[in-house]
Amino acid sequence: MTAVSMRGVNKKYGNVVALDDVSLNFAENRIHGLLGRNGAGKTTIMRILTGQGFESSGSVEVFGQRPYENADVLSHVCFVKESQKYPEMFSVHHALTAASLLYENWDPDFADSLVEEFELPLKRRIKKLSRGQLSALGVIIGLASRAPLTFFDEPYLGLDAVARQRFYDLLLADYAENPRTIVLSTHLIDEVSDLIEHVTLIDAGQVLLDEDAESLRSRAVTVTGPARAVEEFAAGHSELHREQLGGFLRVTLSGAAPEHSPDDLHVEPVSLQQLVVRTTQQAADERTASGATNNKGTRR
Amino acid sequence: MTRLFKVVRIQLVNKFAVLGMPLLVLAAVFLVNMALYGVMSEPSPGGERITGALMSIYCVMLAVHLQTITQVFPFAAGLSVTRRTFFGATALVVVGQSIGYGVLLYLLNLIERATSGWGLRLQFFALPFLPQDNAPAQLLTYTVPFLFLSFIGVWVGIVFKRWGQPGVYTVVFGAGLLAGALAVAATWQEWWPSIGRFFVEQPPVALLGGYPLALAAVIAAVGYLTLRRATP
Repeated sequence: MTAVSMRGVNKKYGNVVALDDVSLNFAENRIHGLLGRNGAGKTTIMRILTGQGFESSGSVEVFGQRPYENADVLSHVCFVKESQKYPEMFSVHHALTAASLLYENWDPDFADSLVEEFELPLKRRIKKLSRGQLSALGVIIGLASRAPLTFFDEPYLGLDAVARQRFYDLLLADYAENPRTIVLSTHLIDEVSDLIEHVTLIDAGQVLLDEDAESLRSRAVTVTGPARAVEEFAAGHSELHREQLGGFLRVTLSGAAPEHSPDDLHVEPVSLQQLVVRTTQQAADERTASGATNNKGTRR
Repeated sequence: MTRLFKVVRIQLVNKFAVLGMPLLVLAAVFLVNMALYGVMSEPSPGGERITGALMSIYCVMLAVHLQTITQVFPFAAGLSVTRRTFFGATALVVVGQSIGYGVLLYLLNLIERATSGWGLRLQFFALPFLPQDNAPAQLLTYTVPFLFLSFIGVWVGIVFKRWGQPGVYTVVFGAGLLAGALAVAATWQEWWPSIGRFFVEQPPVALLGGYPLALAAVIAAVGYLTLRRATP
């Protein structure tokens, strides 16, 4: 089942194209990684999917219906974002009470245990919270709401590495018990690469990758060795990146790893983060190449 | 429907900020007036002390509901509340609060009369231009300005959310220009005598209750249409 589907979605702010013909699917009851650089269009996509923004053209469906002003759909959607605003006068418990009223699956015991876990002071005014505590509040609302579709937009700002790991562990444990569709937008790709089951990579308002994390992991390799041997090996493969050091060459190749490789070549799988970085760089190179002569040597 | 009332409850989660603040300001202004007139010498017999300080609670209402949009709306939208539901809940709170305050001011007005102006011949709550024995007219006259100003606050908040500071300036200057243009037109076309006659001939209830009520409804409707395309 598909929880989310976008078909040919465009979004313009004046002359600025934020989304350019975006088509993507988020399957139900999976953890999706929505990846991309700052300003790539990730938040715009999530704002449209949660009815907070609206598309300029194209079709958007969440649980089979257009989300804009659709209370039936939106009551099943929770959107935790880094930039969430809270009323000046609200204390932490006001925000949690409000969320508990709106989400029918809200688990008060779970929320209490999370408040304890992240040591959040319930009576403190939200504007007095530290950046990390503010992020923790968002994370608690996102987890305890147990909304069938939950978006986390860089929910970790100000959280230290230990707290972030607790968040990933809690998310995974609760997801195992209460399966739902989770979309995680993040820059910390290495940290979540074991967590996410599906990857959507956005760059400059376009979808670069929309694939299972499993197949992506086996998708690219780096090949290191004497330049001539590497060149021979790389011929016929799609090249994402190359680094040369003296007579040695290292290239990142897309396509399944070969069954056998020459002895003088070193072949290793590419991490998700490396793949995302190289794919994004290649797309940027191609954009410059389509405008002017490309001198970066990227080729297919 | 139930979601509408849940959003009403969310708007009132912090009751003090919405319901308490206007009363607090009113109480403070009232006490200051009492103290001021308490130390002043007695007015000459038959002279009444009329203050315009009652306006304060109306202005605070405008500010409170401006903030309902600028502060609570982005939060509620973050919890997946639709604009329609949020506006409906806001309208319910505004109407309920306006009626509640209207009744309260009416009762305080009765006390003021019974105690001959709090023992100081002070007319703080009284509306001197209204017939004193017409309870429904007085209730309406206390209530409607709350509605009118609250919906102005709501609309200005929505304009701010949708078009930012430039939008608010445009609305304020636009309203000023419109008023100026109408004044010029009235002078040029020599409408003033008939305008004056209109105001004199209208019963006070229509002037302070009927027309502002209709205007409040129009502003509320415009506010909703503006909110439809606003982003939190």
